[in-house]
Amino acid sequence: MHTSDNADYSDKRDQEVLELLKDYPMADASAGFYDQALARATHEGSRRQRNRWVMTGFGSAIAAGLVLWLVGGFFLTTPNLPEPDASIPGVAMTLEEPRTINLMFASATAMDGATLTVTLPDGIELAGFPGQREITWETSLVEGKNYLPLELIALTPVGGEVLARLEHDNRDRTFRLRIEVS
Amino acid sequence: MSSENHNATFEKLVQPHFDRLYRLAFRLTGRKAEAEDLFQELLIKAYGKLDDLVAIDEPGSWLSRVMYNLFIDERRRFARQRMHTVEEGFLPGDGLEGFAGTDNPEADQQRYDKLKKLDDALQQLSDDHRIIVLLHDTEGYKLDEIHKLIDIPVGTVKSRLHRARARLREILTTSGTFS
Repeated sequence: MHTSDNADYSDKRDQEVLELLKDYPMADASAGFYDQALARATHEGSRRQRNRWVMTGFGSAIAAGLVLWLVGGFFLTTPNLPEPDASIPGVAMTLEEPRTINLMFASATAMDGATLTVTLPDGIELAGFPGQREITWETSLVEGKNYLPLELIALTPVGGEVLARLEHDNRDRTFRLRIEVS
Repeated sequence: MSSENHNATFEKLVQPHFDRLYRLAFRLTGRKAEAEDLFQELLIKAYGKLDDLVAIDEPGSWLSRVMYNLFIDERRRFARQRMHTVEEGFLPGDGLEGFAGTDNPEADQQRYDKLKKLDDALQQLSDDHRIIVLLHDTEGYKLDEIHKLIDIPVGTVKSRLHRARARLREILTTSGTFS
């Protein structure tokens, strides 16, 4: 690769930085990736185009069906089944098989003495903390992205919500994670 | 246009740019898994805009801009959330996934150590500065190409590049990377 304009690396130190940057590695794409990506794009692109056509062609039928459903809704009752909250990110786990969930949160500044509390639902445990529903520890955050690996294990097939609460200087943020166990 | 012709036209237009687009994706995201996802997303989007693509003089530049915009959109969506889960392949490693050694292990280790410090230093730059310095100094993009890609004036590209280099030099000097 070349630097074609405004190189502006005048002294030795600048040259060393430039040499390092030129040497900064790049991971090649996986073998066969381009072909697979192309095949997926044409397949997915065609599917979306077909869907667009179907939506246009049958749009009025769908609208009519929607009206019927709305009208019918006044007369028919459906059982109140609990619906998973789609706005909460979810992960699937296999019963009794540990899985590492990596939480990422960004911090505008580096900070020491932040407190992280993880609250677990019944049947989900954090590796190394058997039987504990709430684990709290102090941590330091770096400026930018911070990663927290949580090794979880599901002991019952019920699942539930994991809460991770980060506190610092009277400010806090909570992350909710839905666990589904199969 | 039949489906086969459609696909053949698409392939003919995009394929010559694959390597450059993948490199761009990697420099933007810094991770192979993310780069492949971004590349894939671009192709799906571009397929839906084949009529536009056919009429464009420089499909490579157009595809690069679409990729950059996809990256920015994704970054904004990401920034709106406060915490995220991150898949294993998307975790930051040492940032040197593509490091290739030679038959001189000692020299390789020294080179690796320096590149690791460079990688750490790059992580301390803002996204905007990191992207500009990598595209210009690592990938050899011209200032004008960066200006067209990220849609900021050439003067701004220049000043960001200057600041990014100065910051890198400062971090690397402090970390004792240079003898």
